[in-house]
Amino acid sequence: MPEILTVTDLKKVYGKGGSLTRALDGVSLSLEAGEFVGVMGPSGSGKTTLLNCVSTIDRPSAGSIVIDGRELTRLKGKELAKFRRERLGFIFQDCNLLDTLTTYENIALSLSIIRAPAQKIDRRVREMAEFLGITDCLNKYPYQMSGGQQQRCAAARAMVTHPALVLADEPTGALDSKSSQMLLDRLDALNRDLGTTILMVTHDAFTASCCRRVVFLRDGKLFLELHRGKDSRKAFFQKIIQVVTEMGGGMADVL
Amino acid sequence: MFSRLALRNVRRSFRDYGVYLLTLTFGVGLFYTFNSLDGQGALVYLTNVGNPIVEAITMLMDIFSVFVAVVLACLILYANRFLLRRRKRELGTYLLLGLSQGQVSRLLFLETGLIGLISLAAGLALGVAASFGMSALTLSMFEIDVSAMLAINFSPRAAGKTVIYFGVIFLLVMALSGVQVSKSRLIDLIHGERKNEVLKPRPLGVAVFQFVLGVACLAAAYAILLYFGMALAIAILPLCIVMLSLGTVGTLLIFRSLSGFVMKFVQGHPGLYFKNLNVFTLRQWISKVHTTYMAQTVVCILLLLAIGITASSLGLNSTLSAMTDQEAPFDITIQNRSADDSGAVDFTAVLENGGFDTGSLLSGEVDFCVYYNDTALTGVEDVSGILALSDLNTLLALQGKAPIALSPGEHKLLDAWGDGLVTGSLGIYTAVVEDAAARQLEVRRQYWSANYTGDSARTEEQILQLIRPLQLENQLRVESRLSIYADMVGNKILALFLGLYLGFTFLLAAAAVLALQQLSQAADNTGRYAILRRLGAEERQVKKSATQQVALAFLLPLALALVHSVVGMKAANDIIFTVGKVDSTTSSMITAGVILVVYGGYFLATSLACRRMAKNA
Repeated sequence: MPEILTVTDLKKVYGKGGSLTRALDGVSLSLEAGEFVGVMGPSGSGKTTLLNCVSTIDRPSAGSIVIDGRELTRLKGKELAKFRRERLGFIFQDCNLLDTLTTYENIALSLSIIRAPAQKIDRRVREMAEFLGITDCLNKYPYQMSGGQQQRCAAARAMVTHPALVLADEPTGALDSKSSQMLLDRLDALNRDLGTTILMVTHDAFTASCCRRVVFLRDGKLFLELHRGKDSRKAFFQKIIQVVTEMGGGMADVL
Repeated sequence: MFSRLALRNVRRSFRDYGVYLLTLTFGVGLFYTFNSLDGQGALVYLTNVGNPIVEAITMLMDIFSVFVAVVLACLILYANRFLLRRRKRELGTYLLLGLSQGQVSRLLFLETGLIGLISLAAGLALGVAASFGMSALTLSMFEIDVSAMLAINFSPRAAGKTVIYFGVIFLLVMALSGVQVSKSRLIDLIHGERKNEVLKPRPLGVAVFQFVLGVACLAAAYAILLYFGMALAIAILPLCIVMLSLGTVGTLLIFRSLSGFVMKFVQGHPGLYFKNLNVFTLRQWISKVHTTYMAQTVVCILLLLAIGITASSLGLNSTLSAMTDQEAPFDITIQNRSADDSGAVDFTAVLENGGFDTGSLLSGEVDFCVYYNDTALTGVEDVSGILALSDLNTLLALQGKAPIALSPGEHKLLDAWGDGLVTGSLGIYTAVVEDAAARQLEVRRQYWSANYTGDSARTEEQILQLIRPLQLENQLRVESRLSIYADMVGNKILALFLGLYLGFTFLLAAAAVLALQQLSQAADNTGRYAILRRLGAEERQVKKSATQQVALAFLLPLALALVHSVVGMKAANDIIFTVGKVDSTTSSMITAGVILVVYGGYFLATSLACRRMAKNA
C-alpha cells in the first residue's frame, strides 16, 4: 500500500525566549492508503496541534509533512488553499454546517468550491447522501435535523470531493451514544467500502476502538501504538482502556 | 482610569464603527450648513436689496431644522442601539469584573460624550466647507456678478444652534444607553452574542407568486399616475390613496420575494447555481429577507423622496429663471392707473425736467394707452380693455417678434392679463382692434416702458426719485426687471434650499440605516466565512461574496427608487411644462451626482468594513 501521510520528526514550539511550550516534540507517523487511524491522548498532549499542522491550518516549527507526495511545509498561500480543498476533508466536533443552506446545498457547496463540473454535482451529492443515509434530509436546513444527522451531513460534505485524507476532530464529541454509533458505523463503511483514509482525533476510548490502529500521544511525543489486528472491537476497547489507565497512572507518578 | 478606558474604546470605534461617526459628522455638517444660510453671499445680497423673502427663508429653515433634528435624533438613537447590541459581551465582562452598573453607565456616558465632541468638531469643519460650496452654487444662480460676496464664512449663531441641538441629542443618547445598561441582566449580556434567529423554510413557489403580484401592483400604480397625470392623481384623494398604496404594496412584495424568485430561477440553471459561492450568497440573501424587506421598502421610499425633491427643486429653478425673462420684456414699466381720471402723464418730459438725460440713459421708450371697451363701437364682448393694433405691433417689434395684421372689424384677444407685453402685465383683460376703432374710445390706463442703457441700479433709483412726486395726484404702479428678478431669485433660492435640505436628510437617513443593518449582519456572518475558508474557499471568493451581499442590499432599493422616480418625474414634467421649460437633464445629472457621492460613500464604507470583518473571521 502506498503511503498517504508521512509525518517526520514534527516539532511545534509556542512562545518565545524563556517561556517555551513544546506542543509537539519530534512526532513521526505514517498512514497508508485506506487506513483508519485514531489519535488519543490526555489534554495538552498535542493531538489538536498535530491535526492542525496536518490540516495546514497551522505551520510546524520543524520537521516535514508529506501528503500524497506533496511536501506541505513548502506550500504557500493559494497553493495551500488549493491543496486543502482538493486533497483534504474535514469533520469537526461542532459540525460546522452553514445554517442558511439546506443539506443538499451544504454538500454541493464543497463541490462548487473545487469547481467540479455542474452537471456532475447533483449525482455525486445524491450518491454520498444515500451512502450516509441522509437522503430524506436533503431539503432540510441544519436546525431541522438531529445532531447525528447533522454530523453525517458534515461527513458527506467532507467525503464528496474524494479527498486523499479525511481529518476528523472529535466527531462524536457532541453526540449521544446512539448517534455516535451510527456515525462511526458509517465512517467505518466509508473506510472499508470506498477506501477513504481517515485520521481521527478523539479522547473517547469507545470511539477510538472502531479504528484499525490507535496512536497515543503524551507531552508532544509518540507514547504507544496499538494495532487492532484480528481483535474484536470489544477486546480492542479493553486494550485501549488499559493504555489510557496506564497513561493516567504515569501522570500520577510524576506528580 | 475610566477616561482612559473610554478613550481606548472610542479609538477602537473609529476602526469598527466608521459608519456611526460618518453619520454623526454628516448630520452635524448638514445641520450647520442650512442654519448658516443668513451669512452666505446670496442671502446677504437679498438682504441688501431689501427682499422680504429673506425672512421667509430664515423662518422656514428654522421650522424644517426642528423636523430634520428629529429625524437625525431617531437615526442616531438607532445607530447607538445597534452599537450597544454589538458590545453586549464587552459590557457583560465589565460587570463580571465587578464594575457596578452605575460605573458602566458612566463609562458609556464618557464615550458618547467623546464621540459627540469629535463628530461635532469634524461636522462643523465639514459644514463650513459645505456652506462655502452652497454659497458658490447659489451665487452662480444670480445673473449679475456678485462673486465679490463669495467668501469663507463662519456663523457663530449657526454653530451655537448646532451645538445646542446635537448636545441635546447626545444627552438623550447618553441617558438611554445608561437606562439600557441598568435594565439588562448579566446573563443576557454574557450570552449576547448568541442569537435566536428562527429560519423558517418558505417554499419558493410562494415567492414567485408574490413577485408577480408585486410587479402587477406597481404596473397598476404607474398606469394610474401616467394616465391621469400627476396633478389629477394627487388632487383626487381616492385615486391618490389607491395609487400610493398600490405602489407601496408592490414595492414591499418585490423586496420580499425577489430573492426567492431569483433562487427559483437559478436552481433551474445548474451552471449558475453551482458556480463559485453563488449558492451561499443567494441563501444568505434569502435568509435575511424577512428581517430586511421592511427596511428596504422604507429606504426605497426615502430614496425616492430624496431623488424627487432634489431633482424637482433644481428643475423648478430653471423654470423660474425662464419665467423672469418672460415676465420682464422691459427694464421698467410704469402704469398710470388714474389716466382715465387725471389724464396721461408725459413721463419723458417729467424726467427731462428733473435733469435726467433720457436720450443717453434710456432706449426703446414706449408710451401707449389701453382704452375702455365699448361693444357698440368695437363689436367685442366680455373684455374690459382695448389695445390699438399699432401699439401692439410696436411692442412686438421691440421684442423682435413679427407684427400681426387685422382686417376691419376683426379683433384678437390677448392671453390672460396681457402677460409678456410689458414688465409685470397689462392687468386688464384686453382685446386688440384696428386703430381707427380704438382711437375713438376713452383712455383707461397709460403704460410707459423703457430699457436702461447704463448702470441699471442707479438709473432706476433716479427714475423712481423723479416719479415719486407724481404719486400724489396719480395712482402709479412701477414694475421693474430688477425687482421681479430679486423676487424670482428669492423664490429660486427658497425652493433650492428646502429641496436640498430635505433631500439630503432623507438620503443620509436611508444610507445610514442600510449601512448599520449590513454591518450587524456581517458580524453575524463571520462564523460562516470561517467555515467557507476551512472548506478551502479562496480569500478572493469569500470577500466577493461579502461585497455582493452588501451590493444587493444597497443597489436594489436604489434601482427600484430610480425606476419610481423616472416615472414620477415624467408625470411631474408634464405639469412644469405648462409653466415653463424644464432643464431636466442638468438637474437629473446633478441629482445623480449628489446621490452617488453620499450613497456611494456609505456603500463603500460598508462594503470595506464587511470585507474586513470577513477577512478577520
